[in-house]
Amino acid sequence: MRAATWNPAGPQVLEADGIRVAFGARQVLANIYLRVQTGQIVGLLGRNGSGKSVLLQTIFGARAVADASVRVNGHRVVPAFHRPGLVNYLPQEPLLPPSLPLRQAARLLGVDLEKATASFPALRAQFDCRAGELSGGSARLLQTLLLLHADTAFSLFDEPFSGVMPVHVETLADEMQRLKQRKGLLITDHRYAEVLPLCDVVYLLHQGRLLKLEGDVREELRDNGYLAH
Amino acid sequence: MTLLATHARALLLFYRTVAPFMLGLSALILLAVLLPALQEGWSVGLLPGLLLTKLATAPVVWYLSEQLRPNQYWFYFNLGMSRRRLWSSVVALDGLVFLGGALAMRASLA
Repeated sequence: MRAATWNPAGPQVLEADGIRVAFGARQVLANIYLRVQTGQIVGLLGRNGSGKSVLLQTIFGARAVADASVRVNGHRVVPAFHRPGLVNYLPQEPLLPPSLPLRQAARLLGVDLEKATASFPALRAQFDCRAGELSGGSARLLQTLLLLHADTAFSLFDEPFSGVMPVHVETLADEMQRLKQRKGLLITDHRYAEVLPLCDVVYLLHQGRLLKLEGDVREELRDNGYLAH
Repeated sequence: MTLLATHARALLLFYRTVAPFMLGLSALILLAVLLPALQEGWSVGLLPGLLLTKLATAPVVWYLSEQLRPNQYWFYFNLGMSRRRLWSSVVALDGLVFLGGALAMRASLA
């Protein structure tokens, strides 16, 4: 389907299904159905190796999976990252080339760096740094902020809180709540205590299947072996 | 910044990361083959073959780049650029740089 059939105006609903991924004999993802809409923060939890990153990369379009269907408002958008303004993705690995100055990265992503970091004054001193010169936590926070403030309908974040200090995690969570008014966020992170209060919908990836958790989420996480207590 | 300008800047940024390999190979071919050919007078009709040789080294650079920096593409994906688009553009750009270098060398020795 051509890009022209996807209309970026108005509310957007991103749906992914038909995603089946196996590594050798091990079925990592099977019968997945996931839905994110603008105005929502959706949490994706799962044990290590359960396929969370694979799922996000497949939705983003960086990983080709036969029969995978990713749709926005019913229109097929595969690979999704080819559609300007549709979706961006924060990988677990560093996002920015190490030699790239932050200001240039922001310009390329179409983000106002001052505005994106307005709630994090401590970051201003690092605007003239190259990405590779930042500490791990600062780099993670800046990468997340750049993608959060980029003009896309959806953002997929793989471990956005990893290495970020607690005071910034709280502010970043507030920033996500504020910006979800105009975009849909899909977040996976093992810091479930910070993720759960943020989320409108929580999915658990368990033994290759995606379970939508309703009711007492913590109890369901315990029942499925994600939490011990 | 328009989409085209963004992609052009991103392409130059990506080219910078592979330039040491690609320009090194270009310099090697030009200095080891074209320069002696020009000096000794047997360079007629040599350039297309050298350009093809240069283009044939692209898969080696691609392989080394994939091995050394497997996660280098995420930023470019976020700008809407696929691996295929990046590499085809970089190979075309590098071919032009090689051709420019060869023509400049020939003109300077003429």
